[in-house]
Amino acid sequence: MLKKIFTWWEGATIGTALHSWRNGSKVGSDSLGNIYYEGKKDGRRWVIYAGENDASAVPPEWHSWLHKQIDGLPDDVLPPVRAFEKPGTRNLTGTDAAYRPSGALEKGGQRQAATGDYEAWTPN
Amino acid sequence: MPKVKVDGIEVEVPVGATVMQACEAAGKEIPRFCYHERLTIAGNCRMCLVEVKPGPPKPQASCALPASDGQEITTMSPAVKKAREGVMEFLLINHPLDCPICDQGGECDLQDQAVAYGRGHSRFAENKRAVTEKYMGPVVKTIMTRCIQCTRCVRFAEEVAGVEEIGAIYRGENMQITSYLEGAVTSELSGNVVDLCPVGALVSKPYSFEARPWELSKVPGIDVSDGVGTNIRIDSRLREVMRVVPRISEEVNEEWAHDKTRHMVDGLTRNRLDRPWVRKGGKLQAATWEEAFDAIAKVAKKAGDSVAAVAGDLVDVETMYAAKKLLASLGSNLIEGRQTGLAYDATNIAAVNFNTTIAGIETADAILLVGTNPRWEASLVNTRIRKAVKKGAKVFAIGPEVDLTYPVEWLGNDMSLLAKLPKAAADAMTKAERPAMIVGGSALKVPGGQAASLALVDSLNLIRGDWNGYNVLHTVAARTAGLMLGYALAGGMAALAEKAPKLLFLLGADEADLSPFDKSFKVYVGHHGDKGAHGADVILPGAAYTEKHGIYVNLEGRVQYSERAIFPPGDAREDWSIFRALSAVLGKPLPFDSFGELRTALFAEYPAFAEAGLVRFDWAPPALKAEAIAQGTEVAYPIKDFYLTNPIARSSPTLRRCSAEILHGEDFAEAAE
Amino acid sequence: MADILPNSLPDIEELRARWGGFAWSSENEAQAKIIVGRYPLGRQHSALLPLLDLAQRQVGAETNTQGWLPVPVIEYVAKYLDMPYIRAYEVATFYTMYNLQPVGRHHVQVCGTTPCMLRGSDDVLAACYAKGLKKGQTTPDGLFTLTEVECLGACANAPMVQINDDNYEDLTFESMTAILEAMAKGEMPKAGPQIDRQTSCPEGGPTSLKEMATENHDYRGEWK
Repeated sequence: MLKKIFTWWEGATIGTALHSWRNGSKVGSDSLGNIYYEGKKDGRRWVIYAGENDASAVPPEWHSWLHKQIDGLPDDVLPPVRAFEKPGTRNLTGTDAAYRPSGALEKGGQRQAATGDYEAWTPN
Repeated sequence: MPKVKVDGIEVEVPVGATVMQACEAAGKEIPRFCYHERLTIAGNCRMCLVEVKPGPPKPQASCALPASDGQEITTMSPAVKKAREGVMEFLLINHPLDCPICDQGGECDLQDQAVAYGRGHSRFAENKRAVTEKYMGPVVKTIMTRCIQCTRCVRFAEEVAGVEEIGAIYRGENMQITSYLEGAVTSELSGNVVDLCPVGALVSKPYSFEARPWELSKVPGIDVSDGVGTNIRIDSRLREVMRVVPRISEEVNEEWAHDKTRHMVDGLTRNRLDRPWVRKGGKLQAATWEEAFDAIAKVAKKAGDSVAAVAGDLVDVETMYAAKKLLASLGSNLIEGRQTGLAYDATNIAAVNFNTTIAGIETADAILLVGTNPRWEASLVNTRIRKAVKKGAKVFAIGPEVDLTYPVEWLGNDMSLLAKLPKAAADAMTKAERPAMIVGGSALKVPGGQAASLALVDSLNLIRGDWNGYNVLHTVAARTAGLMLGYALAGGMAALAEKAPKLLFLLGADEADLSPFDKSFKVYVGHHGDKGAHGADVILPGAAYTEKHGIYVNLEGRVQYSERAIFPPGDAREDWSIFRALSAVLGKPLPFDSFGELRTALFAEYPAFAEAGLVRFDWAPPALKAEAIAQGTEVAYPIKDFYLTNPIARSSPTLRRCSAEILHGEDFAEAAE
Repeated sequence: MADILPNSLPDIEELRARWGGFAWSSENEAQAKIIVGRYPLGRQHSALLPLLDLAQRQVGAETNTQGWLPVPVIEYVAKYLDMPYIRAYEVATFYTMYNLQPVGRHHVQVCGTTPCMLRGSDDVLAACYAKGLKKGQTTPDGLFTLTEVECLGACANAPMVQINDDNYEDLTFESMTAILEAMAKGEMPKAGPQIDRQTSCPEGGPTSLKEMATENHDYRGEWK
């Protein structure tokens, strides 16, 4: 409850929730749990996130709807999902699951030989 | 002295000078590929064409035409320009478009002259010819497609190196330069063809694809792999020395450097001492500087004045001076530099110096080699002797027979011959105008050897006016400087062992036999982990020759200054500063706090080091007791393996491969590139 | 140059095993001394060219072919003249008459330059191909090696071939075939023009200086 009053970075704030209840009609939700609203009077479209408010959490099909690139709902207007399509994910930058190329130091790789590298002597 | 006019400028040139030399005297630059000042004239590249007035109506090769009185030479006419553009165009016809991948890019004569004298665009639309790469050894990489057949490498191998192993086979467009049957070139000077080659056909194999010349910081230095003191330029990038190339020095190394000088540098990044080590409970363990100094101080307190120092082969004057001062403050003067045990009388330095000077030996007309293999001990002195032989000098030698690249009359491996030289040799020496004798370390090792060789000075009349023909050939960079600083005990290492010092400092000494010093507490101050470090009780990491400013004195007594190219790795420090810090811990701080103060103190005490140049030693040989040498006394040359004579060389993979392949005949499968 | 491709190239170890013990035969030893004696003292290296040829012929005699110069033989000659091996090797690779690969018993060198081509050297080559000869190779029975060479200077008798040391001139497809067949049988056909013609005199006999055809006639008294 305190979180809802004092923080604004997860889900909807009190004001946004109120606005969505009064002026918005729920049109659908996606695989990540975000809920999409359309304004009753003005036709605005918005999303209430499940979890942290991060624009990359919107999957591609709902992204098109949100930006008014398509008229109807993704399930209705867009072609059916193909077998090879992966479900949408948030941007993983800065998290532990971020992509690292092979040989990256973060993944435990060795850096390339550089000028000035030397082999120190050890008594063995 | 013929007087010629070059572009209207009148110059007078010595007799025998060529038109090209006249043009250079007048300040005009003549492009060339095959001409080289130190090789014979070939005249096959045709790039040096100029117009010469009294002569045929075609441009002449200025490198080959002798200058004669009254010639009028034009170097900047449209015809000469057209000739140069034409020659350039033809050279570029079969030259591959390799500049981005060629190591010579940035320092390539062909690039520079194409920009300066070429047409700027090509008209050639056909296929270019390609040539297979030839194997020339572990040190020279060949990409013969780039070869412009200037034959500089062929002439160098024949004239300067003395090994006739590179030649040009087939003819015309199909001419290819190769080593005989694609075997390794066995000369120790083989790396010089890399510098000579005007294009990237012959490049340095260890340095290939490593760096571009504009990335490198270049510092003038002095090589320490042998006693010659070759002037080098140390090329480094950030914290690593990438390569070493020779500098021109007419008195010392002309323009050459042998393979050890060039390729020792990849040993500078291996086996490095980068932190202090202290032996605890029989095993060496990493320590801090404080711990190491404390361990030494504990022993020093009990040792009193029973302290000694053995200088290694690669140390500079400042290090030896600082160590000597430290020992003096502890009350000791037990310092010795001849770590392999030689004990000749070194009271008069001129009597153990190369008195003819390196440049002077090439003017000798009779040379007697006694127990020395100059080809391995001082390769650039050997090239000078070779020049003397080509001018007509006769060379006699006492010692085991080896191939010195010039004809030698071997008198036998018998040191008693010093007392009774064969008549032919003695006559040649006495009748010669400038006779010279070169005594090597193996002769000085024989009891009575030094006395017998000095006796020959009078009997062969080796000193005539300005000319002093008595030479001793040192193999080690630190020897002459060490002798000047007093790093010589009467009796050498054996005498030092008898004194049984309680504390022994080893300044990079890795060739010494340390078994007599079992009871001593050994402190090794050096830069590579070799024999000396393994047996030490405390190891203090110092700086190698590329990592400190230093003064070195070569075997002819020439004081030369070397500069620092990079900083020592890890926790290593400059050696003089190690002794200064240790002196503070021992309670008797040395009187200098900076490198400048050290040099000031050094020059005050030893003014000979203050100026670079030849030091004049007064000739006052010691009166040694003559000792009869038994007949049949044989000597063996001190260097058993040319490529592995110092700890840096032993850590270098290139030199290890040279030794394995060239000296021991191992086969190496070449990786397909 | 590497014009002649051997059917298989022996490597240096095999060569040394086979030819490492090469030494002059007794007549060649005497001949070699004569050749070296033609040059002043200190200039013996000039004898390299004739001695390499002599060595090549000796190899030919030993192998019953026209001879070639394996590397150990070049080294032997170099050592005989006290020369570095590379200098002798450079000379041996420079000249085309020094065979660096083995050749057959008969070295058929067909001239294909302009005068011969205009007069039908293609037919001569066709005759060779018909007999199974291939340019740059030795036939499997080791009899013939075929090479196409530059002008041999017998243009008045074009087309011609040089086989071993002799020229066979004024050839046609048939006469070339006949020569090859005779050689294969072990006969040596008459060298020179293969038609009724005396050296390079006109066909049917000379039209001037007729007496010269049979003797060295002195015309000096007959000048007008």
